[in-house]
Amino acid sequence: MGDLINIFVKSAFIENMALSYFLGMCSFLAVSKSVKTALGLGVAVVFVLGLTIPMNWLIDYYLLGEAGFFKMDLTFLRFIIFISTIAALVQLVEMVVEKFSPSLYNSLGIFLPLITVNCAILGGSLFMITKEYNFLQSVSYGLGGGVGWALAIVAIAGIREKMTYSQIPAPLRGLGMAFLLTGIMGMAFMGLMGIDPAAFK
Amino acid sequence: MHNTNYIIRFTIVMTVVVAFVLALMVSGLKDIHTLNESVYNKKGILSAVSGQLGKDINTLNENEVGEIFSKQIEQRVINTKGEVLSEAQILEATGGTAKKAEDIDLAAESKKAEAEKLLPLYVFTDAKDQKKYNIIYVRGKGLWDEIWGYITLSEDWNTISGQAFDHKGETPGLGAEIKDNKSWYGQYTGKKLYDENGKFVSVSAVKGGVKIPEHQVDAISGATITGNGVNEMLGRGIKYYEAYINKSKSKSNDTLNTK
Amino acid sequence: MAEVQEITKKETLFSFGKEERKLLSDPINDNNPITVQVLGVCSALAVTTLVDKAIVMGLAVIFVTGLSNLFTSLLRSYIPKQVRMIVQLVIIAFLVTIVELALKAFNYSIWKELSVFIGLIITNCIVMGRLEAYAMANRPWKSFLDGIGNGVGYSIILVMVASIREVFGKGSFLGFKIIGPTAEYVLNTTEISWLGWYTANNLIILSPAAMFIIAILIWVHRATNRKLIDIS
Repeated sequence: MGDLINIFVKSAFIENMALSYFLGMCSFLAVSKSVKTALGLGVAVVFVLGLTIPMNWLIDYYLLGEAGFFKMDLTFLRFIIFISTIAALVQLVEMVVEKFSPSLYNSLGIFLPLITVNCAILGGSLFMITKEYNFLQSVSYGLGGGVGWALAIVAIAGIREKMTYSQIPAPLRGLGMAFLLTGIMGMAFMGLMGIDPAAFK
Repeated sequence: MHNTNYIIRFTIVMTVVVAFVLALMVSGLKDIHTLNESVYNKKGILSAVSGQLGKDINTLNENEVGEIFSKQIEQRVINTKGEVLSEAQILEATGGTAKKAEDIDLAAESKKAEAEKLLPLYVFTDAKDQKKYNIIYVRGKGLWDEIWGYITLSEDWNTISGQAFDHKGETPGLGAEIKDNKSWYGQYTGKKLYDENGKFVSVSAVKGGVKIPEHQVDAISGATITGNGVNEMLGRGIKYYEAYINKSKSKSNDTLNTK
Repeated sequence: MAEVQEITKKETLFSFGKEERKLLSDPINDNNPITVQVLGVCSALAVTTLVDKAIVMGLAVIFVTGLSNLFTSLLRSYIPKQVRMIVQLVIIAFLVTIVELALKAFNYSIWKELSVFIGLIITNCIVMGRLEAYAMANRPWKSFLDGIGNGVGYSIILVMVASIREVFGKGSFLGFKIIGPTAEYVLNTTEISWLGWYTANNLIILSPAAMFIIAILIWVHRATNRKLIDIS
C-alpha cells in the first residue's frame, strides 16, 4: 500500500506530467486563461488518466504481450491500440457523464473530446509501459498523474488571471507570457527532484 | 449519412489493411532490428575498453564491432557462487531466451534473488600486448530510474582500467554526466577495489575533495543522488562477482607457486 | 474539345501556383504551428536538447503530417461521420508506427534517444489539427502541401531551439565540438585565455529552459510581425 502512495505522490508532484515532463502543453497553454475552465479540464484529465492507464495496462498485458491471449509479440500495434482505447473511453465517459450529471457535462463542454489528443494521456500510458508498473501501480500512477496535471494547470491559470492587468510588452502578451510562466513553474518543480516519498514514513 | 452496415465494413477493411501492412513491415525489418540491438549492446560493452582499443566506439561500424567481439572478446556467464555456467545451464536459467552473456536480459536479472542471478563476464584481449582484461556488469538505481555500468578490471582483478556508465532517464547536465562527461568517469581508471590488506573497499564518489586517492573520485556537483546510486551500485554489484574473483586469484596464485 | 478539358484538369491536379505556395509559406511565418497556433508544443521541449534529435523529429512530423493529410483527404468522402475521429487517429498511428519501425532499423541510437516521443507524434496537435481544419474539406494535393508546410514550420522552430540549447548548453553543434574545456573542442577554454571565463550553461539543457527560449522566439517573432500580437 505504501508503495502505491509513493507512486501517487511521485507522479503528482515530483514527476509532474505538466511541469516536469511538459506533457499536454497544447491544452495547458490554451486553456489556462481562467481558473474555472482550467479546473474543468483538470478534473476531466484526472478521470481519463485514472481510467485509460489501467485499461491500457490490461490490454497490453493480456493481448499484446507474449504472455497474453495471442501468444505473439504484437507490441508494434501498441500505438494504434492505445490511442483507440483512449478515444473509445473518452467517448464512453462523455456519454456516461451526459446521462448521469448533465450539469457537469455542460460545464466540461468541449474539453472532454479534446482530451483524446492531449499528449499527457497517451504519454502517461507509454510511460507506464517503460516504467514496467503492475496493475495496481498503474492505477496509482494514472490518478497521481492526473491530479498533478490538474494542480499545475489550475496554478498557472490563477497566475495568468492575476496578470491580466499587468504591464506586459505587447509582443510577449498572451502566449509568450504563458511559456515564461510555465518555464518558471517548471524550475520550481525541479526543486522537488530527489524527494523520496518513502522517506516520510 | 452512412448506414451501420457501411461503417462496419469500412472499419473491418481499414483494420485489416493497417494490421497487414504493419505486420509485413515488422517481419521484414525484424532481422535488422535484432542486429541493430545486438550491435548497440556490443558497443556498450566495448565502451568499457575504449581506452585499450584506442578509438571512439561510436565511430565503429557494425562489421568492425562484430569483428572485435568475435576475435578479442570471450563471453562467460557466471553465478554468485563463482561457477561458470554452460550454455545449457544458461538456457535453463533464462527460460530458453539466452545462450550467451550478451543475450541475457540484464534488467530481469537485477530483479532476481542474489543466489539466482546470472552475471555476464567479458574477457577482452588487447591486440597490442595480448594482456587480458575482465569486463563486469553492475546495475543500480539513480535518481529517476535505473543506472548501470560495465567496469573493466585488469588481470589482477583489482585495478580499474576502463568504465562505461549508462542510465535510463537521469537529468541531462546532472545525473546524465555519468555517461556524458569523460573527465568525470575517466577518474575511475586507475583506482583500486581492494586495499593493501586485501579487503574490498570499492571506489566511491565523494564530495569536498578526494581524501583517499586510491579508492575515491570527485562526485558530480548537483547530482548527489545519482552519485550515491553509482557508489551503491559498485559496492553491491562487484560483490556478486567476489566468489569468482577469489577463485581466479587463487588459481593464478597456484600457477605462480607451481612455477 | 475533350482534349483541352483533359489538359486543364491535369494542370489543376498538381499545380503549384500562388495558392499552393501560400500553403507552404504561411505555416513558416504568419501561421506557425508552435508560435501562433499553439500546437505541437509537448514534443518541442524534450527533443530539442540536441540538434540531430530535433532534425529527426522534424522530419518525422513532416512525413506524418503530409501523408496523413494526403490519406485523409483521399478518403474524406468515404469516412463515416460517426467514427471520424477514430479513423483519423488510426491513420496517424499507422504512419507513426511506420516511422518508428523505419527509424529503429536505420538509426538505432537516435531511436533509443527519442523513445516515447516518436509515439507522441500521434497526439501532436498539429497533425490532428490540420486533418480537421484542412484535409477533411480539401483536395489531396493541397492537403499534402498544407501538411508539409506545417511540418516544416514546426521543424524550423525545433531546430532553432535545439541549436541554442546544444551550442550554449553542451558546446557542440550536431555533435561537432565547438567550445568547451578539453582539447577535443575547437575553442578550448582552458587553453585560450580570453575564453577562460566561459563555462557551458547547464540551465539551458534542462527542460524549463526550452520554455524560456520559445517565449523569447515568440517575443521576437511578434515584435517583427506586429499583426500577430494578441492573436493567442
